[in-house]
Amino acid sequence: MFEWFDSDVLLQQLLLGLSNGMIIALIALGYTMVYGIIELINFAHGDLFMLGSFLALTLVGVAMNCGIVDPELMGASSHWWLLGTLVLVCGVFCGGLNLCIDHFAYKPLRRASKLSQLVAAIGVSFIIVNVGLFWGGLPMDILGGGGAAAAPKDFPHLVSDTNLLGEESFVVMTWNDVVIFVVTIPLMIALTLFVKFTKLGMAMRATAQHATAARLMGVDVNKVIAATFAIGGFLGGAASVLYANYNSTVSFQMGFRAGMDAFTAAVLGGIGSLPGAMLGGLLIGLVRAMSDQYVGSEWTNVVVFSLLVLILIFRPTGLLGLKQREKV
Amino acid sequence: MSQSPSTVHRPAGLLSRGQCILFGALLALPLLELVFDLGISAPTRFVLGFAIVGIGLNVVVGFTGLLHLGIAAFMAIGAYAFAILTCTIYPFQIGFWPGLLAALLIGAVAGAFLGAPTLRLRGDYLAIVTLGFGEIVQDLLKNLELITKGTQGINPLPTPWFFGATFASDTPKSWYFLYLGILLACTMLVRNLEHSRIGRQWFAVREDELAARCMAIRPDRVKLTALAVGAGLAAVGGALLASLISSTGEPGNYDFQISILALCIVIVGGIGSLTGVIVGALVMVGMNSILLPMLGQKLQQAGIGTTTSVYLAPDNYKYLLFGLALVLMMRFKPKGIVAAKEEDH
Amino acid sequence: MTQAFARSSKQTFDRLSNPAGGHSHPSCASPRSNSLFLHLMKATMQRNTSTLLTSLTACALAIGTQTMQAQTSATPLPATIKIVSSLPRTGSANAQTTSMVNGIRMALTEVGGKVHGVEVLYEDWDDASPQRGNWDPAIEAANADKGIADSMVVAYIGTYNSGAAKVSMPKLNAAGLAMVSPGNTYPGLTKPGTGEANEPMVYRPSGSINYFRVVPTDDVQGFVAAEFAKSLNATKVFVLHDRELYGKGIADVFNASAKALGMEVVAFDGLDTKAANYKAIATKIKQSKAEVVFYGGTTQTNAAQLAKDLLAQKVDAKLIVPDGCFEEAFIKAAGANALEGRCFITFGGVEPKLLGGKGQVFYENYKRLYGKEPEAYAAYGYEAAKVVLTAMERAAEAGSLSRAAVLKEIAATKDFSGALGNWSFDANGDTTNKVMSVNTVKDGKFETVKVVGS
Repeated sequence: MFEWFDSDVLLQQLLLGLSNGMIIALIALGYTMVYGIIELINFAHGDLFMLGSFLALTLVGVAMNCGIVDPELMGASSHWWLLGTLVLVCGVFCGGLNLCIDHFAYKPLRRASKLSQLVAAIGVSFIIVNVGLFWGGLPMDILGGGGAAAAPKDFPHLVSDTNLLGEESFVVMTWNDVVIFVVTIPLMIALTLFVKFTKLGMAMRATAQHATAARLMGVDVNKVIAATFAIGGFLGGAASVLYANYNSTVSFQMGFRAGMDAFTAAVLGGIGSLPGAMLGGLLIGLVRAMSDQYVGSEWTNVVVFSLLVLILIFRPTGLLGLKQREKV
Repeated sequence: MSQSPSTVHRPAGLLSRGQCILFGALLALPLLELVFDLGISAPTRFVLGFAIVGIGLNVVVGFTGLLHLGIAAFMAIGAYAFAILTCTIYPFQIGFWPGLLAALLIGAVAGAFLGAPTLRLRGDYLAIVTLGFGEIVQDLLKNLELITKGTQGINPLPTPWFFGATFASDTPKSWYFLYLGILLACTMLVRNLEHSRIGRQWFAVREDELAARCMAIRPDRVKLTALAVGAGLAAVGGALLASLISSTGEPGNYDFQISILALCIVIVGGIGSLTGVIVGALVMVGMNSILLPMLGQKLQQAGIGTTTSVYLAPDNYKYLLFGLALVLMMRFKPKGIVAAKEEDH
Repeated sequence: MTQAFARSSKQTFDRLSNPAGGHSHPSCASPRSNSLFLHLMKATMQRNTSTLLTSLTACALAIGTQTMQAQTSATPLPATIKIVSSLPRTGSANAQTTSMVNGIRMALTEVGGKVHGVEVLYEDWDDASPQRGNWDPAIEAANADKGIADSMVVAYIGTYNSGAAKVSMPKLNAAGLAMVSPGNTYPGLTKPGTGEANEPMVYRPSGSINYFRVVPTDDVQGFVAAEFAKSLNATKVFVLHDRELYGKGIADVFNASAKALGMEVVAFDGLDTKAANYKAIATKIKQSKAEVVFYGGTTQTNAAQLAKDLLAQKVDAKLIVPDGCFEEAFIKAAGANALEGRCFITFGGVEPKLLGGKGQVFYENYKRLYGKEPEAYAAYGYEAAKVVLTAMERAAEAGSLSRAAVLKEIAATKDFSGALGNWSFDANGDTTNKVMSVNTVKDGKFETVKVVGS
């Protein structure tokens, strides 16, 4: 019944792995950038991502209520412009929010130990979860007419979900998959170019290498850190729209798992490395899909983390991480 | 560095002054209850269990400087080892104290087992491996049904006995004193280690691994002992908490959130300080299982929160209160409530 | 000591209610004379200043009711008494537990907050913590301890999660405090031979029964689900579970029943309940060509996501889920599209709006009071509270509101005519109500397709 090798199944799982992996990679970028600059594991990043998807849901609700889009057509036809707007708006929202969080929660702790910043980040993540719990209630009460704030919410498909490979095909690929690549790849390219060639990008790289030295060379380190949080937040916000659209669910507790996957991806790729985070995200997505198919989903977490441990044993600084030099 | 002669030759003493005051206060707590009806010595037993886990984690994170995000795995290992060796549905049934000792040893061995392949890793790479180990253990407990009963959890677990006295579920005070005694023993053990040769090696590795290597310290071995001691104590804490509810609970109860709670205990209390860790357990676990429930109850008695609105139910503010407390404590006490003395190390 | 107390007060009660010594049902005529006497006593008491009454009560509470019990039949009823519920109020189960608590409050309001003139306080305790976002064993244990220590508490309504019940059951049993669950369906808690070898005796250290539930158990439900799968002409079924006590338990029952009914179980696997989606699993299901997928899980363990991913990956198999998904929130989370004609939900009982008799009254009252349709869980909460309050009324009539008296009356619940129908507690503490329904979703609302057993 389960043929070990079935090319259709394999193809499908590869596609699913890539789609899921792309989203993880986009979130992981936010982790890895912040880590690269101030060595903070930003536990609140996943929850920030959750708030982004809530904003998207609210905006979609508003659009449907104001007659801008027809609720009947959700999933039947594609609303590209709506999706594009949401990616931008939620990105800016998360970026701005991340900036504020940094200002109020982490900035006063810059000189304290890294662990105090870590605990502050954990605290922020709890606060955001509570905001999500209330937010989940309010717009739904106004627009959807129901309580149950804690329950997951359905997110309408913004693009058509007809199978692009034909209705008869075993492999399902819809615009929902395509849109992930269409949004994520340009964002990643833009980020890479930005970090490589702009002045701010160079300042970022300098700060990541050695903050004090960068300051001595005239880099405004505070500005660089602020920019890092803003960009990381923007990517998280963009990812949240893609995630919500792809899985068609948002929930106030979803940030935790997304954050953990992204953190794992960032470390797997070599924390602080942008291509590493992308590679790590894709790898985790693919391994999860393959393990669900060929091993059994109850073993998937064991497979993912065992692989992680194995890779780190042979490459202690991740796949693409720079070898750390011992300080002298 | 701790190699200065004054530190080496200073006798450690059994307990520091802060620890004496703290244990005195904890000892007095049930007496206070004779006068005021607080009803807190029963839930405080959980605080004591988590304090032992915190002390263990403090050895790894505080003394040796290794970020550990999977301590819950060792609590689970301790609880399950204790359960399998003592529960009546298994053939071993070795009793409470031998079971606790076994949990300590099995936990320590598991800690070393995790440590061995990861010693090359630095900083946050170690953190993710410990996190991964936590997930793996939890999933193994769920999936290896023949050994662990899977989602069922293992129950009943034996209640402690002490010189002929057995403990029933309706005598929380005697449990309280027993657990306080075990916590005291763990504190003294770790305090002794802290002031011994191995303790100074932990500090040396934390401060500068390269310099430590130059002083003929083998960082690998030092880290391994820290991981083993930390895991062993966490296992004892896990076993005690399981004995308290007479069940290991579902494997899902030992998830990443618990590791995070333990980490918060250490950091909020005061990283590197044993007194601080116990205070941290009082604050964090106390907030979770005493303060927030009590607050909800008082508000209800005052007639608040009995409406159906999501926004008026006090329970819906728990995440916010918990998070805010963490952020504010770090904002105003970044070194924790009881900061470790710098000159010691 | 508490056990001894429970026993002695039980004897007192027996003597009290039935001087002849034979066993008789409390609703029979013989204790009437006693309760009349008590009425008189109470009237006399009430004529005295209220301060005397309160100080007497306070005195009674302080010394502990033991001495009072040991005295003659002239035990005064306390001025106030308390029932508590212990349900996960923080986190993802909040929606269901809110409807349960609404039901409990409504039952209390219906009797005017009083039984037999005694004021009944109700406290809604949370057994979840923000740390876990779900039930927390430490807090459930603390709640049980708190309930035992508070001498005003005579009944403990809870828990929602079967795993949590495993923690508090032995404690409350040793203390002789009655526990009525509106939500636990794991069979091993009460039925010998359905769980581990030492279940359920391990939850009854005192040897007697103190735990009751108003919900039918999963061994019944899992079989009904399997039968329904068979009626869909399924030959191959794909069984999934959420790797939690409830979900795994019911999936095990379904698995065994499906095999017994001659269906082929092509896979039995546990899901990662926090995963972003189950599209990979959906693909595997599609490859297996199973006609029916059973998922032992709840809305909180991501059942809605599975339903959506089956649709998204164009899998034709029908999905069957248990009562953990029988709530508005499930439809909201999955979106009606993913469920209509594709998903079936089994439930121990019928939808509130289909309830007959008193159930209909409950349905109308609830709608009036809270301005919305009651969820299935609201009826469970209401029924649990109603059973407790009715038992308290009988106990008070018979002259004592001690824990033992209330427990005895709850256990004696027979031919109870409540919102869920006409039922009794059997010797294990289970409801005799075995009505099961299979529901689907139509036009965004649950619709019953089949009712089994009545």
